[in-house]
Amino acid sequence: MIETKNLSKSFKDIKAVRDVSFRIPTNSITTIAGADGSGKSTIFKMLMGLIKKDAGSIYLKNEDIGSDFNQITRLTGYMPERFSLYPDLRVEENLNFYADIHQVPRSRREKLKQRLLETTGMIQFKNRRARALSGGMKQKLALSSILLSAPELVLLDEPTTGVDPLSRIEFSNIIKDLKQEGKTIFISTPYLDEAENSDHIIFLKEGKIIKKGPMKTIRKQFPARIFSVLPRGNIYEIMDQMHRHPDLKNSIYIRGKFIKYIQVSSKNHLDLLPAISVKEESPKLEDIFLYYERQSTINPEGLHASTD
Amino acid sequence: MPALIEIKDLTKKFGHFTAVNAINFSIRQGEILGFLGPNGAGKTTTIKMINGLLKISSGQVLIKGLDARKNRREIKKITGYMSQKFSLYPLLTSLENIEFFGGISGLSRHNIQKKKEEIQPLIPRPILTQKIVDIPPGMKQKIALFVCLMTDPEIILLDEPTSGVDPEVRRNFWMEIYQLKKSGKTILVSTHNLDEVEYADRIIIIHRGNIILEGEPSELQARQGKDSIEALFKDAIINYDNQLSRTGGAECSD
Repeated sequence: MIETKNLSKSFKDIKAVRDVSFRIPTNSITTIAGADGSGKSTIFKMLMGLIKKDAGSIYLKNEDIGSDFNQITRLTGYMPERFSLYPDLRVEENLNFYADIHQVPRSRREKLKQRLLETTGMIQFKNRRARALSGGMKQKLALSSILLSAPELVLLDEPTTGVDPLSRIEFSNIIKDLKQEGKTIFISTPYLDEAENSDHIIFLKEGKIIKKGPMKTIRKQFPARIFSVLPRGNIYEIMDQMHRHPDLKNSIYIRGKFIKYIQVSSKNHLDLLPAISVKEESPKLEDIFLYYERQSTINPEGLHASTD
Repeated sequence: MPALIEIKDLTKKFGHFTAVNAINFSIRQGEILGFLGPNGAGKTTTIKMINGLLKISSGQVLIKGLDARKNRREIKKITGYMSQKFSLYPLLTSLENIEFFGGISGLSRHNIQKKKEEIQPLIPRPILTQKIVDIPPGMKQKIALFVCLMTDPEIILLDEPTSGVDPEVRRNFWMEIYQLKKSGKTILVSTHNLDEVEYADRIIIIHRGNIILEGEPSELQARQGKDSIEALFKDAIINYDNQLSRTGGAECSD
């Protein structure tokens, strides 16, 4: 659906996006992940023509769009990090407004609106003005407005920030259904557990792609082993000590009540960790992301970004 | 551990809507209390009533035995608050925000200058002179926490401090929270990232303005046969809603 080639953008002397090339295949979910400030939002804004690219090309359905963003904006529902709701309109009026401007047929609108209101717990607030909603509710309403009006392509920049865990699951389900309907979804998120069902993944660091490709290939090619350690003693004290250990400092992190250990080389350093139990696990997307992020710090030239 | 904060029948109504419904709990000295709940459950409203930003409809907040309604100035002195979305002034730089918040918190010029020097090694230099609106969330979070701690408060109230920041930054943040606990601070943290509160001393789940679960994370999980806070959370919310629909009750109505 969309392809970028060598997209770059600098703000004064900060290189925000560097030579970024990727594809968002039609009828798929593509997730872009990266630390804060890695360039995710800048990429979204360049795709929508909201900031001017310094170099590179954007292709829509195999055609270079040049500097004409009319076609792309017509096909796209875009939710920026900071989305503007109409504060004086009620919840349902906001949803209707976005559906109206995107000319969503009434039958589809009513069905999906009802589902969005019910599954996200907004139904009891549907007559409340947007300005009187809690922070998380505003975010839910913003995301619902975009999903309701979703044209062919849906661009979501960190849509679930501040949204509670139960509603995050519901939104994931709705996004999967949109894909079933034939839509193309491009999404960024700091919660990698949400991205487990994506078809394609792009990992970004300091404006550069450090890994990209189909999810299946990325999983298959993952070269490290992951262990889950239930620590004996205070987890923060242990992490503090272990971070000073050269063999462990880049290989451990906390997830829930466990210390995760990424075994990169053939030598295993698990014996250094005071443990009640140790279990090997299949890697989660977050493990894979952290592995490539940390590897790119240790050995910036040693990674082959693409598995295409 | 003695209770440092006691919440008694605390209620907040906005018109006919009951956002917080006669809740009771306490926060013990030196503990980390995880304050959890779905969007619109009443978390922020409760926190704002504790620190005096919102008027209490009925009930009481006692901090070190002082009634929060009658002793706002004393309570402000011992409480640090980091609001949702790190409310800093977006068009001011980090250093200007420190100056501003230092000023309204009653710090002397000398102390404000000292704080401006203390932040230098924590934040990369170019970021310090950039407007807040232009810096990444992880950095905003760091600056907001620094501002919250400027007066060296005994009690720290953190409203979704890790919302929207990446996993690595979140983990480092919790290492800092633990250091604060070690130095004797009492901390209330609300969050939607449930894996973060596995090591809180206690958790409270609030839903539809009511407390529906309270206890030590490991004890609650053992008692209910769950292996994570997330499982515990989902179960508590779904059970409560099912019960509500069976009895036809609705405490919170518009």
